[in-house]
Amino acid sequence: MKNSFDEKILEEAYDWVKAEQKVVLATVIQTWGSSPRQTGSRMIVNEQGDFSGSVSGGCVESAVVRECIGLIKDNKPCKKIEFKVSNESAWEVGLACGGEIAVYLEQINQ
Amino acid sequence: MKLETLKSIISKKKNKSEFAIVTNLSTGESEIFEKNKPFSKELEKYSVQINNFFKSKKNGVIEGTEIFIETYIRPIKVIIVGAVHIAQYLTDFAKSLNFEISIIDPRGYFASKQRFPDMNIINKWPDEAFDEIETNENTALIALTHDPKIDDPALQHALNKKFYYIGALGSKKTHTNRCERLKEAGFSDEQINSIHGPIGIKLGGKSAPEIALSIIAQLVSETYKK
Repeated sequence: MKNSFDEKILEEAYDWVKAEQKVVLATVIQTWGSSPRQTGSRMIVNEQGDFSGSVSGGCVESAVVRECIGLIKDNKPCKKIEFKVSNESAWEVGLACGGEIAVYLEQINQ
Repeated sequence: MKLETLKSIISKKKNKSEFAIVTNLSTGESEIFEKNKPFSKELEKYSVQINNFFKSKKNGVIEGTEIFIETYIRPIKVIIVGAVHIAQYLTDFAKSLNFEISIIDPRGYFASKQRFPDMNIINKWPDEAFDEIETNENTALIALTHDPKIDDPALQHALNKKFYYIGALGSKKTHTNRCERLKEAGFSDEQINSIHGPIGIKLGGKSAPEIALSIIAQLVSETYKK
């Protein structure tokens, strides 16, 4: 892997912390099949549900935001969530591409 | 992740170091791994696997464990010769890419801080400038002045040091003349043909931002071929 990109999400997370926001990092830690974003891709979410970055191509971000807000509310340090192929007949969250991803959520603690 | 860890990751990225973040997914504890830095007690038993991820620059979970590794590689050095209009767009486009850019131009009115804020600008002739920059086969050169006095010494340096990407701006005619000069200077056909000239992939555009985009696209593509 020869990364030629640098998305500066962690730098943005630090800016949010400095602005006294509660921030959760969401990181793609595993992928199976064809998934839109590679392992290590990130997004950040604050307690208001504002988010930046991505863990998929827009398929599961809304669910990740909900989970992150829940993590802040329950004051839990971390959580692992998995997403699978979406069921086309329902409006549920999932990956239309047929892949699976595991996303790790962790709060940034002061 | 502890705020302290986040801060030190950001500062390591800023200092262009090579490192990895190792996270225990069950506890949420993260630590920073660096070459030659001793492992903590908890991670010692995974040292072989962590080193393998680190060497192959890959991210992932160690099989059968709850240990996640994210590796950070040193940015690729890109030298731009010619602090011209295209260079301004190149530096803009490169902002979200992992390139460390230095700009060389002996002409002071081009190489000004006002034109290139927050950039490493070396206001010297290429031969002197290359004394200040460590270069090797992981370095890229973008020559933009199409003035033989400035571009040629930089191209010669890049060919001698076997840069993985060498591109030179100029028309086909300019490039033919350039190739002849390099041949006279003793470079082989193989070396000369490795130069991307005219520079960039064919997009059809002629404006400065369009040319910059075509150069960046070619640079990224060649970086993945490396």
